[in-house]
Amino acid sequence: MNCQEFWDHMPEIGADTSELGQHAAECAACAEQLKLHRALASGLRSVAEQMGSVEAPARVEQGLIAAFRSQNRVRTRTASVSWWAPVLSWAGAAAVLVVGAGLLLHSAHTPQPLRARPGTPSIEQAVFDPSASSDNDDGFIPLPNAETLDPDEDVNVVRMEVPRSTMMAVGLPVSTDRLSELVEADVVLGQDGMARAIRFVDE
Amino acid sequence: MNSKPAEPDDDLFVRLRGGDEAAFVALYRRRQAAIYRFALHMSGSASQAEDVTQEVFLTLLRQECGYDAARGTLSGYLFGIARKLLLRHLERSRSDVPIEADTEDGPMAELAVDDSPLDDLTHREGIESLRRAIRTLPRRYREVVVLCDLEEVDYADAAGVLGCPIGTVRSRLHRARALLLEKLNQERHMRPGVSTLKALRCGI
Repeated sequence: MNCQEFWDHMPEIGADTSELGQHAAECAACAEQLKLHRALASGLRSVAEQMGSVEAPARVEQGLIAAFRSQNRVRTRTASVSWWAPVLSWAGAAAVLVVGAGLLLHSAHTPQPLRARPGTPSIEQAVFDPSASSDNDDGFIPLPNAETLDPDEDVNVVRMEVPRSTMMAVGLPVSTDRLSELVEADVVLGQDGMARAIRFVDE
Repeated sequence: MNSKPAEPDDDLFVRLRGGDEAAFVALYRRRQAAIYRFALHMSGSASQAEDVTQEVFLTLLRQECGYDAARGTLSGYLFGIARKLLLRHLERSRSDVPIEADTEDGPMAELAVDDSPLDDLTHREGIESLRRAIRTLPRRYREVVVLCDLEEVDYADAAGVLGCPIGTVRSRLHRARALLLEKLNQERHMRPGVSTLKALRCGI
């Protein structure tokens, strides 16, 4: 065995066979190199041991669990909506037709209802007005029914994919044929891990 | 006392896809430290390592995460995602270490037989020197040392992570170790005018 064969047969540090040992005994240069490589192997093991207890901070796990819960809530909601939504839509349409027909039949005898003054917000708009919320510099929109963030509260922001239908929940327009598509969003999570606000990326 | 064998990663993955939070937590706790350390070694930044770790596992949560058990282990997949994210960060920050004599199959410089062998690398100062030397390795060598020598990823998995043949992993590792020895030797012999490196010829 020559030097080249010696190193070709010993790619892993510390490999030891009688043939390798024989060459190392005959070649002082290779023996010295082997010694250095073994010292390096010990050093690398020490670095690995020293770093063995290093791990990601706990807040990463908390943020990920919150993202996991949020995602599964959204998925569950989407999945449960998916089968009864068409049924509900048809039922709603039928109800509108029935009510419309009734109104037509009785319109001559019914006094005109009072109209809301122009500019008066509907109840839904008064409860949550996304246009007002999106005036924030950071573009985050508070989630409906979410608790308000304490100014001193530590928050985590995680990027995740959510169904485009989530945009409807915060009052943003979405084409009905794209409801099931996924869209990237930054979600603000409070200290309790609950989602508080959302910002859609590139939307 | 018989301890229950750990549930395979792939089983945990299947369960987490079904919405099992406990499976996700178990998988995260099993794999996060290695991913975090890999990112930390590669970036030198704790905050970047934290971001990368988070992004790796968020990727796993996506419906189209792209993991295919037939193409490699879940651990290898996670390291691969981490590497791609790190490369993206490095491209953005352009903070990568300049590559010197970075030829894949170039001639190997061999260390001179020295009167001060590197036998104290297991002590505190030696470990710190070695960590510094690892940090200054060119990226392609640093990643293979971190994966194979520090995180004990097997060569096949490492090849999958790096997207290269196993032979390339071996040659990079060999070259990386030689570079580490060279750097350590240089650090020990900063005497001006003294060349610490010379090629050795062996006549056998």
